[in-house]
Amino acid sequence: MSRWMERTLIVFCWICGLALLAAITAIIGYLLYKGMGTVNLTLIFGDTSPVDALLLRKHVFAGLFPAMVGTVAVVTLSVGFAIPVGIASGIYMAEYARGGVKTVLGFFFDILAGVPSIVIGLFGFALAIFLHKHFSSIYPSLFISSLSLAVLVLPYIIRSTQFALENLPAATKLIAVALGATKLQNIVYVLIPKSLSGIFSGVILATGRCAEDTAVILLTGAVAFAGVPKSLFAQYEALPFYIYYISSQYANQQELLSGYGASIILLLICALLFFIASMIRKGVTYQALYRA
Amino acid sequence: MNDPIKIKIEHLFFRYGDRFVLRDVNLRIAENTITAIIGPSGIGKSTFLMTLNRLWETIPGAKLQGRVEIKFQGQFQEIHDRDYPPTTLRRSVGMVFQTPNPLPMSISRNVSFPLKLAGLRQKSAMADRVEQALKRAYLWDEVKDRLNEDALLLSGGQQQRLCIARALILEPEILLLDEPTSSLDSKSGAVIEELLVNLKGSCTLLIVSHYQDQVQRIADTVFELAEGKFIPMPVRK
Repeated sequence: MSRWMERTLIVFCWICGLALLAAITAIIGYLLYKGMGTVNLTLIFGDTSPVDALLLRKHVFAGLFPAMVGTVAVVTLSVGFAIPVGIASGIYMAEYARGGVKTVLGFFFDILAGVPSIVIGLFGFALAIFLHKHFSSIYPSLFISSLSLAVLVLPYIIRSTQFALENLPAATKLIAVALGATKLQNIVYVLIPKSLSGIFSGVILATGRCAEDTAVILLTGAVAFAGVPKSLFAQYEALPFYIYYISSQYANQQELLSGYGASIILLLICALLFFIASMIRKGVTYQALYRA
Repeated sequence: MNDPIKIKIEHLFFRYGDRFVLRDVNLRIAENTITAIIGPSGIGKSTFLMTLNRLWETIPGAKLQGRVEIKFQGQFQEIHDRDYPPTTLRRSVGMVFQTPNPLPMSISRNVSFPLKLAGLRQKSAMADRVEQALKRAYLWDEVKDRLNEDALLLSGGQQQRLCIARALILEPEILLLDEPTSSLDSKSGAVIEELLVNLKGSCTLLIVSHYQDQVQRIADTVFELAEGKFIPMPVRK
């Protein structure tokens, strides 16, 4: 490659990086500019006093509090469903599956990763109807939404676990085996702890996807007004659904602005969830490796 | 040499796919000796070590034929017997690799790791054995005050001695060493050479080495691996 080509490529890469940075700054800056004025306790709790709302003593009617609780609940539940299944499948793919089975399964996981979320939502809706026929108490609900979202994000966790394990250096995979470890001991004591950062990048991706997805929850249990969810099998409110709803149905400028406020709160919740996830990763790594 | 035989290898063939690495190897290795294997890179010296602890089975496409018998507690055992578990074998045949490979854990957890794998849980007994192993690997004095520090903070030479201590904690009868000093400076290398000679009393050692002078300093028997065969070499002693 000539010097000239190399220079051009470097400049091009720089420009792309800067463009991305500029886009993110523009989006977040615009959100803050438009929405920051509306973010206050009234937006969250309406006319109810925050203490009463947090202790669930009174319902919040004109605030985002129920939607915030709904979003945190649906994200936690779906990631909670997806993590064990996803990590186990990832381990199977990396360490046990061979040849044709591995190729076919990998192909299916890639297809699953590409399925539009509205289709997954439809699947969840169909599941809810099916279950309703047999157990009349089951409707589209928090539980159905979480299951559907778990299916949506499963491929991220499977693939990131699989690739994290597969990309460990060959020498690392032999350390414990040479010391007399069984295959399972090697996986549990060495391979998984060593690939935690890769696995958690999948979990973070999944968390973000669950927090933002609207199409799935739209069909499986999210509604405009439900209050704080009372059980797993209740309908619930969620921030992305609120944002969608308000931006398509707003009656006045003030309502639209509250949509921007909700977006800021959604971003903050995502940031908080990422922070918690990375704390958990540190804790797990410490427990697995450094604990005396 | 009147030493009793420790390892008996008969008609050993080894190949990766169609490429033969070992062809009809017949070898006797005496107890409590250091046997060195020399030869150019990529000729299969490391692979040969892996046939003695069945680590080759983890390599896709590898095929082995022939007999490898090792005397454990006075009894010869064909190590590739179907009902002889490789984990048992690897607890009696320790291995140290070319690059020091401590796990990202504390020093004491690294050394006691094989005990944990073997199912030992008693903390006090573990601490004693960790101390013994570190002493045998000439590392105890340097680390006794910081056993709970991260092992990755040790120097290269210390890390390699840590790996030797880790391999020794299950009191293996055989220790396989794959160019154990090649990533270290000459001073750290000399410490390891001294400790290997000292281990001869309790172990049978096989060492792969690139350095002619190192081999001449410590080995009792030397073989050169060439075209899949072991050729005995003279030892100045």
